[in-house]
Amino acid sequence: MATRIGNWLDERFGWRRVWEVIFLRKVPKVNWLYTLGSATLFVGINQMVTGILLTIYYVPSPDQAYDSVQYITTQVPAGWLIRGLHHWGASAMIVLSVLHMLRVIFYGAYKYPREMTWITGIISGIIVIGFGFTGYLLPWDQKAFWATTVGTRIAEVTPIIGPWILRIMRGGEELTAVTLARFFGVHVWFLPATLAVLILIHLYLVVRIGISAVPKRGE
Amino acid sequence: MGEDKEINRRNFMSLATWAIGALIGAGLGIPAIAYIVGPALQRLEAQEWIRLGSAAKVELGTPTLFKTKIERKTGWIVNEDEITVYVLTEDGRDFVAMSNICTHLGCRIRWVADSGQFFCPCHNGVFDKDGGIVSGPVPRPLDRFELKVEDGQLYILGG
Repeated sequence: MATRIGNWLDERFGWRRVWEVIFLRKVPKVNWLYTLGSATLFVGINQMVTGILLTIYYVPSPDQAYDSVQYITTQVPAGWLIRGLHHWGASAMIVLSVLHMLRVIFYGAYKYPREMTWITGIISGIIVIGFGFTGYLLPWDQKAFWATTVGTRIAEVTPIIGPWILRIMRGGEELTAVTLARFFGVHVWFLPATLAVLILIHLYLVVRIGISAVPKRGE
Repeated sequence: MGEDKEINRRNFMSLATWAIGALIGAGLGIPAIAYIVGPALQRLEAQEWIRLGSAAKVELGTPTLFKTKIERKTGWIVNEDEITVYVLTEDGRDFVAMSNICTHLGCRIRWVADSGQFFCPCHNGVFDKDGGIVSGPVPRPLDRFELKVEDGQLYILGG
């Protein structure tokens, strides 16, 4: 019965073919370092799911942000777990992205014909850092406030356009409600939307071109 | 599934992958459901006696309006809510406290002295002075609060 329903659906969706192309494709003999990309993707999905859950209670306003985060952590069932996964997942995301990038560099996997995979990966990496920077402000505690004060000041050091960048980031001269709101907006809309597109291209290229083998001596 | 399939390395790995995936899914999915529905299932905070005012203020035979403020904590915000109660007594000894919330869809009713009835502006629900149904779409009489009189002061049980 299940097989018949499966066949009926596959006749219309054709997903078995898609499944085969994505998951049953031939790969060269590689090692465990080649799992770092998948690990990053896994943590990324974790960030997405827990992040969506956090927005159910979080309020990005200076008079409520801190209290709503405390409410999530101490009052909501499993709130500590959801926030904890998002918090630690954020660090794991940075670590795994960097390790994944190092593997690609040392194995020369960025070379022809995989330049676009590399470029989309690098932009994704910058976006991941953007996630970390914007997300850090959202708990609106002392650490968040001063880290963002310092972070935006660092951006101000940029020659010529620095002060302008600071104003764009903060939404004015000072770090205010406007800053918190725009950091939230960037964290939950701009960055996820951009990253989703880049990751889709990145994965499409991985499937289409195939992954590189471990380079041999003399290559 | 797979009764006559022999367990080879490939099948085992595939099965193990699905099993671990399901485990992770459940490990996140079950807490996620608890997280979403949790506050909805929380019981109201313990009820307490709320002072309305002097019992002497209640007019005999006419529902008298009492307003009092209480602090309610919803999520991470403490609100000051106003509780409005109609108190009725026929003899100055036995008191009845009625909610001013219409039992139909939650609008606020008011006492119309001319007709001697409670009237709800939303869908023309009408109650008599004891809170009983007179006409309109109302499903049940007005809700009542538990009430006590201490030292000439009225208290209702609420939260």
